[in-house]
Amino acid sequence: MRVRSLAAVALAAALVLGGSVGANAESVLRLRMNGDINSVDPIATTNFTIRNSAYLIYDTLFALDANYQVQPQMAEGYTLSDDQLTYTITLRDGLRFHDGSPVTATDVVASLERWGKVDGLGKILFSKAASLTAADDKTVVLQMNEPWGQVLPALGKISSNVPFIMPARLAAQDPSDPVKEPIGSGPYKMVVDEWVPGSVAVYEKFADYVPRPEPASMAAGGKVANFDRVEIRYIPDSAQAVDALLNGEIDWIEDVGADLLPLFDGSDTAHIQVSPQAGNSLQLVVNHLNPPFDNPKIRQALQLALEQPPFMQAIFGEQTQLYQICAAVFFCGTPFESDINTDRILHRDVDQAKALLAEAGYDGTPVFLPHVTDIPFHDHAYSVLKPMLEEAGFKVDEQMTDWASVSTRRASKEPVDKGGWNVFFTGWGFVDQSNPMTNVYVAGQGLNGWFGWADSPELRDLRVKFAETTDPGEQKQLAEDMQRVAYDLVPFVPLGQASIAQGVASNLEGFIESPVPFFWNVKRKD
Amino acid sequence: MLNYIAGRIASAIPILLLVAIFIFSLVNVTPGDPAVLIAGDNATPAQVEAIRERLRLDEPLPVRFFVWAGNAVRLDLGESIYSSQPVTRLIAQRLEPTFVLATVTLILTILIALPLGVVAAWKSNTWIDRSIMAFAVLGFSVPVFVIGYLLVYVFSVRLKWLPVQGYSPLADGVLGTLRSVALPSLALALVFAALIARVTRAALLEVLSENHIRTARAKGLSTWRILVIHALKNAGVPVITVIGIGFATLIGGVVVTESVFNIPGIGRLTVDAITRRDYPVVQGVILFFSVLLIVINILVDLSYALFDPRVKG
Repeated sequence: MRVRSLAAVALAAALVLGGSVGANAESVLRLRMNGDINSVDPIATTNFTIRNSAYLIYDTLFALDANYQVQPQMAEGYTLSDDQLTYTITLRDGLRFHDGSPVTATDVVASLERWGKVDGLGKILFSKAASLTAADDKTVVLQMNEPWGQVLPALGKISSNVPFIMPARLAAQDPSDPVKEPIGSGPYKMVVDEWVPGSVAVYEKFADYVPRPEPASMAAGGKVANFDRVEIRYIPDSAQAVDALLNGEIDWIEDVGADLLPLFDGSDTAHIQVSPQAGNSLQLVVNHLNPPFDNPKIRQALQLALEQPPFMQAIFGEQTQLYQICAAVFFCGTPFESDINTDRILHRDVDQAKALLAEAGYDGTPVFLPHVTDIPFHDHAYSVLKPMLEEAGFKVDEQMTDWASVSTRRASKEPVDKGGWNVFFTGWGFVDQSNPMTNVYVAGQGLNGWFGWADSPELRDLRVKFAETTDPGEQKQLAEDMQRVAYDLVPFVPLGQASIAQGVASNLEGFIESPVPFFWNVKRKD
Repeated sequence: MLNYIAGRIASAIPILLLVAIFIFSLVNVTPGDPAVLIAGDNATPAQVEAIRERLRLDEPLPVRFFVWAGNAVRLDLGESIYSSQPVTRLIAQRLEPTFVLATVTLILTILIALPLGVVAAWKSNTWIDRSIMAFAVLGFSVPVFVIGYLLVYVFSVRLKWLPVQGYSPLADGVLGTLRSVALPSLALALVFAALIARVTRAALLEVLSENHIRTARAKGLSTWRILVIHALKNAGVPVITVIGIGFATLIGGVVVTESVFNIPGIGRLTVDAITRRDYPVVQGVILFFSVLLIVINILVDLSYALFDPRVKG
């Protein structure tokens, strides 16, 4: 009796420890992104994880290729009239939504209109358009009021909000009310029944998807689904995610923190892949409404008080491949990279900072630092910020807090003692910042703009001119002018450009280099 | 007996109401605005304001409480601010992992704790007893997450026998499920077993000094028979009480354990909802736990009758 039960226990233990999990032949790709899938509507939110998931579900009319050129995606092609006002776009044959219905020009019009209500670039597009109509089932006609150089860049926008196409019945919903039914025409369809917010979102291969014949190139070209099933797993703890990857439980991690990179040493299960285009760079946002930074000279003194290397070293430690020193408003390695007016940013000068503070009549108003402790990236940056400011003659009032509180507080336009703020750290990515149309720091929209509320008629004017021209030389010049004006105005201080290190299972191949992670073409090595 | 049960259930209602008011107030005075968190890092103030209006966060607190409590009575716990899913669906989705984890833990606990407690009582004041009690003190002094990480390090990271994290549903095979809850259950059971083993020992020691045990010994019964048949059953009431109370601790432990092992159960749901200021979910989950605890307490009370014929309710 006793021997038998012992044997049973031993057998059970052996099965649990050594047993293989339910043998099914389905091929599964398991991904760990930075966030969780809490919505299926990429138009109602700018959240990047939702955007990444949406690229599996939805397709786009146009798409950006690896040369930053816009290519037709769901569109077969388009023609532009000689007066540059009429775009006639034809849809490819055989496009189907996941509910089985064919994709029509009406769906495209409804989807673009919904997107045009929320997206920055989309809003401008529709303000310049006379009409967007479905001429027949397969033809969309966009009639502009005036020639505008940003029509294709807008329709081929790669990051949030991406003009994804969904059925007209869903796109009829107001964008402030998120769509709950994920119906797209992309290479994977979402399995809503298996979706557990806060844990996992499941997608399966859409059998009726017809990839374009061209090879994949960033968001453009043929999207070939090589897995029966894709799972986006939410694993909040980064160290645990790395352990899971190294243990073969997941296949990919969007962003492995710098401190965890050594764990990959010597592993034959997984390796690191550095993606320069996918990083979130560090910026110190400055509130122009509250003293002391309501004074432009004091803002310039702030530029002089800081420099990038200490921040990057605090965040990335010895992982120097993960960042670069870059003062360009539109980021380095982009078409609009420039070094104009970057002296104060690149060359820290405490004496000059003090002189500027004296000249501006700085009265010792403390700079309020909301030291965010729950996000390591922020925590490290605030630790460096305080001593640098003090050394340059600023008085500092630092308080420990969490990101949730700061993200509430930053919306306040009140004085600091009434719940307002002076500065906070944030991280914008490559895609948004490299484009003068979407970079929030050169908008100059004052109280109508993004947090910090830097106001500059000159910047607004430059942006309008930028949108109107299609001449690359002129665009480059305008972008430089924007940088010059912005760095006198100081809506923010750039503190280093980050890459990210993705963790990749070593038995995978076919990843596409892109600022947005795509999973078509990825497959297991034979 | 039925009156007794009805009385217990009726007395639970004011408790639930107090819990509801307390939770609602606590959740709503915590700093942080869910609208801001939903809108994300790069949202404009106008987007944030639109979300706040859509979620009716701009309405006064008492109004929001009565709307919520009224719906809760009809088993409508509202919609998650974070994922726009019904709270009841979110809770239902996560019952299985938590239930499996708690059950396996309870079984492991009893398998570990009762023999240890019995042996410790039997060999009281010997080195065996001391070692077992030392283990017990260690067991409930070490936080469950420390044990959890240690187990993960040894069995998953080093030996690669078991998964590091996650949960495999029963529908995909029982074996996978057991593999996925093996380490978390063990971590929890070690803590819990320490407590139960101590109580079992103490209760048994008391019973062992009683007359009927001496009589049993005098009759020449085997030690094994005396311990298990005569003593353990009489020591049942305190042990069951502690297992019942311990279940509350277990739920607390589940919250931590599910986070440590990334198990998508109710515990994880709670932690995530709190960090996201997802008020409807936090309120719903805590209400759920409160009801569960009250039910367990009633069950524990009723079970006394099984062990002690004097308790008839």
